[in-house]
Amino acid sequence: MRLIATILFASAALSQAAESAAGRWEGAAQIPGHELKLIVDLSDEGGKGWVGSIIVPGFGVKGAPLVDLHVRGGDLAFAIKGALGNQRAGRAELKAHLTPDGHLAGDFTQGGNTAPFVLEKTGPAQVDLPPRNTAVSKELEGEWQGDYEMMGYARHATMKFANRGADGAAVEFVIVGKKVNNVPVSLVTQDGDFVTVKSEEFGITFEGRFVKEAGELKGTLSQGPMEALLLLRRTP
Amino acid sequence: MKRFWVSIFRLGIGLGAIAMALSAHGQSMFRGDPAHSGNSNATAPRQFHRVKWKFPTGDRIMSSPVWENKILYFGGDDGNIYAVDSETGRQVWKRTTGGPVPCTPAVANGTVYADSYDGKFYALNAQTGAIKWKFATEGERRFEAKGIHGLQPKNQTMADQYDIFLSSPVVVQGAVYFGSGDGHLYALDAATGELKWKFKTRDVIHASPAYADGVLFVGSWDSYFYAVDAATGKEKWRFHGGEDPLIHNQVGFQSSAAVVDGVVYVGCRDSNLYALDAATGKEKWKFFNELSWVIVSPAIKDGKVIFATSDSSLYHVADAATGKSVLKQQDKAYIFSSPVIAGDVVLMGVLNGTLQARDLKTGEPLWDFQTETSKQNKGWVLTADRKFNEPMFFTSNWREAPVVGTERQFSIGAIFSTPLVMNGVVYFGSTDGNLYAID
Repeated sequence: MRLIATILFASAALSQAAESAAGRWEGAAQIPGHELKLIVDLSDEGGKGWVGSIIVPGFGVKGAPLVDLHVRGGDLAFAIKGALGNQRAGRAELKAHLTPDGHLAGDFTQGGNTAPFVLEKTGPAQVDLPPRNTAVSKELEGEWQGDYEMMGYARHATMKFANRGADGAAVEFVIVGKKVNNVPVSLVTQDGDFVTVKSEEFGITFEGRFVKEAGELKGTLSQGPMEALLLLRRTP
Repeated sequence: MKRFWVSIFRLGIGLGAIAMALSAHGQSMFRGDPAHSGNSNATAPRQFHRVKWKFPTGDRIMSSPVWENKILYFGGDDGNIYAVDSETGRQVWKRTTGGPVPCTPAVANGTVYADSYDGKFYALNAQTGAIKWKFATEGERRFEAKGIHGLQPKNQTMADQYDIFLSSPVVVQGAVYFGSGDGHLYALDAATGELKWKFKTRDVIHASPAYADGVLFVGSWDSYFYAVDAATGKEKWRFHGGEDPLIHNQVGFQSSAAVVDGVVYVGCRDSNLYALDAATGKEKWKFFNELSWVIVSPAIKDGKVIFATSDSSLYHVADAATGKSVLKQQDKAYIFSSPVIAGDVVLMGVLNGTLQARDLKTGEPLWDFQTETSKQNKGWVLTADRKFNEPMFFTSNWREAPVVGTERQFSIGAIFSTPLVMNGVVYFGSTDGNLYAID
């Protein structure tokens, strides 16, 4: 009887925390000489698990996904994916707790620096869900290769497409220039004959058309401001 | 016995006089001498003790101070050319020009020479700051290009936010030489300001010309490095550096050359440090820095070339004969300030707001000095370990956002200024607007 009561109490507390943490939160982190505005959206997806995204006005950040999102009781912790971080600075992280007066207060850490923040709930969550990988057509599965030139340097690209069930497709992407670069792919989509392969980490995007009859994947590879034509053919 | 003491006394005076003579003529232009060896006669402290004084100005200081008869001369982005007492840090005079003065003045025969963004070249009385003469160039400008560094919209011409220095003049045998944003290398009569000749290149010259054996050596943003006869202004040879027609990032000579033992050493935005034969312009070797600019002027001593890179933030020592790496150390932030060899210490500024001293032999850091502005780290321009925190200031490639980002990047007391060492004191400027004297 006591056990059941405890479980019921714990579950009620968790559900209350979920209810309290879910929503749109707006406020600012007080970094030296600058107030960093933050808009955080958190949702427990009706009990399926926590998802979230963040908006940082003035920093070009809209709907960056929250990762490693943990909500336990009134305590929350998460990191920001693909924004306010890089290899040198690491990723930005927030740790917070729900205050008795209904605020979300905690520490914002970025580049080894830490600043306090306070957020206020302003409405229901409007989480920006990140785009997901799609499956690719059977004809596209397998290895493709081609050459391109960027900034006067010749490079050889290889992409190996494979479908992974519910997770959509995955691509092994290798660029060989002076060095061999294994490019981490963050997104693969195929919409009709239009194929997109994206690496957030390397800032590389390939967009091309799959020309089935010619056995070609023909498009543009862009890296930052630079673009190059890339024609991929199936590896014999 | 008495004779012995008299001799020692006389010897003491004699050595002192020689030292004074070296000092008086050794630090009166950019890099200390017309050949820009970067090898100071002075000895730098191996330990940091204190800030002796600091002299506040109205804007950032990109200029490097020079020293003549106990007076420091430098330019300010507030438009002034300053003379400051090196002992007390008190202003002797200031002369206001019509634009920022991010060049290093030269002092010769009681005259201070400097150019300003107002498009005029100034000759001032070193004692009073009174104008002796002014010379109008065809006007200053920064290097500019469409889509520079990937800025968008890419069909828009924008100025290069990293073109921050003006050409520092060199005075040799009655002539003063400097480059200009109008693309010319100028030779003026040092006494009258009369034009002796001008040599045209196809883009901005903001490097300082180096002089050796009757020849001037200077690079332009047109991607060429030139050797020009100092007497006639005729081209002797030219050397082609890298090109970057796409985003104009890997092109141009911003670095000022050093000429030692018939070899010209110069950094380039194409990320190479070049060693060229001074007589022919033939490449002896090049040191590739994986797309990171070499803005600094190299320092050369005992067969070693010391230089540093911009965004990859590497401190390098290479063999002067072969270009092979002797040692390499990872620094924390971009380096635009040229290394100075002072005794067994190498000094240079870093854009994260620190002045750094390294051991000449090992390259190991000995000490550093961090400006207060850098310590405050407003807007988290730096990470906790003093590296540049790009996500906090480069927020977009569009319109003027990268320019604003760069201004924020430079706002933390960055040290572009090349340090000057005199009598055990290190002098340098900072973007926090202060000229510092530390020992």
